[in-house]
Amino acid sequence: MGGVKETNILKMTTPNKTPPGADPKQLERTGTVREIGSQAVWSLSSCKPGFGVDQLRDDNLETYWQSDGSQPHLVNIQFRRKTTVKTLCIYADYKSDESYTPSKISVRVGNNFHNLQEIRFLASLRWVQISSFSSEKFVISDHLKPSSLNSSKSFSIQLCSVAVKELRFFGEEEQLELVEPSGWIHVPLTDNHKKPTRTFMIQIAVLANHQNGRDTHMRQIKIYTPVEESSIGKFPRCTTIDFMMYRSIR
Amino acid sequence: MASTKPLCLPRCGFPRRTPLCRSKTDRLAKGSECYQKSLSLNPFLWSPFESLCEIGEKPDPDQTFKFTSLQNFSNCLPNSCTTQVPNHSLSHRQPETVLTETPQDTIELNRLNLESSNSKYSLNTDSSVSYIDSAVISPDTVPLGTGTSILSKQVQNKPKTGRSLLGGPAALSPLTPSFGILPLETPSPGDGSYLQNYTNTPSVIDVPSTGAPSKKSVARIGQSGTKSVFSQSGNSREVTPILAQTQSSGPQTSTTPQVLSPTITSPTNALPRRSSRLFTSDSSTTKENSKKLKMKFPPKIPNRKTKSKTNKGGITQPNINDSLEITKLDSSIISEGKISTITPQIQAFNLQKAAAGLMSLLREMGKGYLALCSYNCKEAINILSHLPSHHYNTGWVLCQIGRAYFELSEYMQAERIFSEVRRIENYRVEGMEIYSTTLWHLQKDVALSVLSKDLTDMDKNSPEAWCAAGNCFSLQREHDIAIKFFQRAIQVDPNYAYAYTLLGHEFVLTEELDKALACFRNAIRVNPRHYNAWYGLGMIYYKQEKFSLAEMHFQKALDINPQSSVLLCHIGVVQHALKKSEKALDTLNKAIVIDPKNPLCKFHRASVLFANEKYKSALQELEELKQIVPKESLVYFLIGKVYKKLGQTHLALMNFSWAMDLDPKGANNQIKEAIDKRYLPDDEEPITQEEQIMGTDESQESSMTDADDTQLHAAESDEF
Repeated sequence: MGGVKETNILKMTTPNKTPPGADPKQLERTGTVREIGSQAVWSLSSCKPGFGVDQLRDDNLETYWQSDGSQPHLVNIQFRRKTTVKTLCIYADYKSDESYTPSKISVRVGNNFHNLQEIRFLASLRWVQISSFSSEKFVISDHLKPSSLNSSKSFSIQLCSVAVKELRFFGEEEQLELVEPSGWIHVPLTDNHKKPTRTFMIQIAVLANHQNGRDTHMRQIKIYTPVEESSIGKFPRCTTIDFMMYRSIR
Repeated sequence: MASTKPLCLPRCGFPRRTPLCRSKTDRLAKGSECYQKSLSLNPFLWSPFESLCEIGEKPDPDQTFKFTSLQNFSNCLPNSCTTQVPNHSLSHRQPETVLTETPQDTIELNRLNLESSNSKYSLNTDSSVSYIDSAVISPDTVPLGTGTSILSKQVQNKPKTGRSLLGGPAALSPLTPSFGILPLETPSPGDGSYLQNYTNTPSVIDVPSTGAPSKKSVARIGQSGTKSVFSQSGNSREVTPILAQTQSSGPQTSTTPQVLSPTITSPTNALPRRSSRLFTSDSSTTKENSKKLKMKFPPKIPNRKTKSKTNKGGITQPNINDSLEITKLDSSIISEGKISTITPQIQAFNLQKAAAGLMSLLREMGKGYLALCSYNCKEAINILSHLPSHHYNTGWVLCQIGRAYFELSEYMQAERIFSEVRRIENYRVEGMEIYSTTLWHLQKDVALSVLSKDLTDMDKNSPEAWCAAGNCFSLQREHDIAIKFFQRAIQVDPNYAYAYTLLGHEFVLTEELDKALACFRNAIRVNPRHYNAWYGLGMIYYKQEKFSLAEMHFQKALDINPQSSVLLCHIGVVQHALKKSEKALDTLNKAIVIDPKNPLCKFHRASVLFANEKYKSALQELEELKQIVPKESLVYFLIGKVYKKLGQTHLALMNFSWAMDLDPKGANNQIKEAIDKRYLPDDEEPITQEEQIMGTDESQESSMTDADDTQLHAAESDEF
């Protein structure tokens, strides 16, 4: 299938700054997710007086939680019943928090404090734009297994006669790395089958901060659950108003 | 009916207290009997008719609004002022006494009362006296009808009825002394003049407020009385009429449209306004005496301190049965005019003509309203559309028609009608909650937020305004705020069933099913005929997969409203879930017959057929559906599944990709899974490649690209 016409060796660069994600309010407006932080009990491993849970959950990006203990700093979210959670949104801003900005976060889920397991993230590494060298198309035939990546997270790929628009590489890792974040970080919480996790408890652990700071600031955390599908039947949501009008009696 | 229903009826404010207490305390049969009686005694009454319709009885408008009960006609005239009969108490407190007094009451009432004209003088005064039983006024001693003597008696009125609404004894007492309600004791100039008017012109002024401010919720007024903070203009006079209202024909009726306006002016106050409307609007009746009207009325107007501004956004009389008032007013004016210049015989004749005209109008409206309450919506629309245009173009009639369209799920039409109402009567609050739900269904968020802002600005004490606000936020998916507003609506009027229902729906959306259950049950407690609440309960049980319970509740809702295709559709789905597929298909067929425009019925029929492996017919159904709703991704999704089962993978894939195109954000997971699954059983090389590509893609990829890619690769794999 297509001989090697030209080869090009690409190098992965070191990770760039974490790009800010979309405002979670937009996410809510799509109607596909719903914020359920209010249905949970929040607790922190430590906090400075006046900079506690309320500031973390007050919908105000100016106020923040400041921890006051030793690492790892923990945020525990406990639900009354087993809840499906889809996305975690954390607001972190390097410019305002500097050394307080978290740089390594681990998210664990489980039934209780003794039963927590880390969630593996499909963390996308950086984009690499590859210019096209020829017009032949080429099919990439297998995943790159995680083990094939070396620990420094740089590797090279040989591509032949590629005309590629985008290339993404996914590795699974257990910790979320943030590099000078400047906005909302969307953390998908998925289980092994790529579905949203069902859990009683979520624990967000800040393992390290930028510039090796001891304490951390977190400005806002939101937790989202997928909205149930249409009211009747096991079908996905309707998209047109015509259908939705007849869907229920209000 | 009464014995089986464990729930109380909504308040039906009613001048004849007894039915009110009956319905409140769940003696429905007795209650409806009392309503019937009162209707037979005075057929001009609209509120008992309305209440009967809402309870679920089917009074015959032709029979009711007949001109034959003339022996009481004189009593029905505005002339016969109303004496406020001692309200045998707060019937809600002493139901037994009332019970015994009923037969006496109604007769007595008939003689003495008319439709509460004087709302003003109701309440207050002698709340203590109010406890005096009928013994105080024996039927025989009280003179009939007109006469200023009655007027004076009138002043001693006792609080009207059943304000059972007024929560309890405490409610009354603060009213009496503190707010200067006692008209005689603390006469405000207006009041004084009012009284004078009475004495001066015995003939009229009291317009039989039959249809009158029917919607004044007595309760509300009662509440407003107790919380006098409502009256914003510190006008003491304002409070009076409010309280007075309670007395009036405050039929407190339907749970749904309730007007909570503390500043509802009494019917009599409205008189001048009505008359001015008569002059200004084109809707003056065709009675020959309209000229006389003009002549006779102006002198009256200055007497009244028209509190036209007291209405915040005035929902007042005018809203209710406008046309009725006008005609009534007309007859009263006529009679008044005649008195001075015409002989009694001619006067009587004219009165009769007026009454006959009024009766025929009442008949028509009665038929329309009855049809609507039995959810015979198409007919209701038909009947009400045949009213003459000056009656048709009034807030009340148009609201009923709008509601009829709403019940038929024809939201576009309903929206059109309601916007007309807003244009004609933009101060109307009653009935607007239906409009807000219509806009919610149509997802017109801008219009909905305008509506809710207007309503809440106009009247913060009406549950309809808060319901509209709640709907607005619910549409924006801010469920917590919506819940807050619905709770506010409930606070403002705890007997407003729709607020509970809407709150229940919000709780369902936030997954708090227990609270939702409680809310729906509350709604049913307030109004057992509120089929939306039964539907809500069914939905919750369906979500919890308790299918037989769900079916039972849906069936109950259907019993109340047999024409709803949405309900039938739900029942069909539940039956299918209960494995009764044949029945499900029957139900769905019925639904389609009733409302061929409902695409969901066809969709569910197709899915039932699909589940029963009747692929061809399912496909046929879906193809038809595609024509009706070409942009609905679910349709393509289901078609894709059918093709997959039929083994036509190309077509399946095509349809899945269309489905994904049409729904980029929501159903990706399910559709993607469907596509993935489709590939699993296949072992061909190219296809596994595709699968992997699909699998590695995350949702960030545009669906278009996905579809393209897969097709592209499929094409390529073919080449190799």
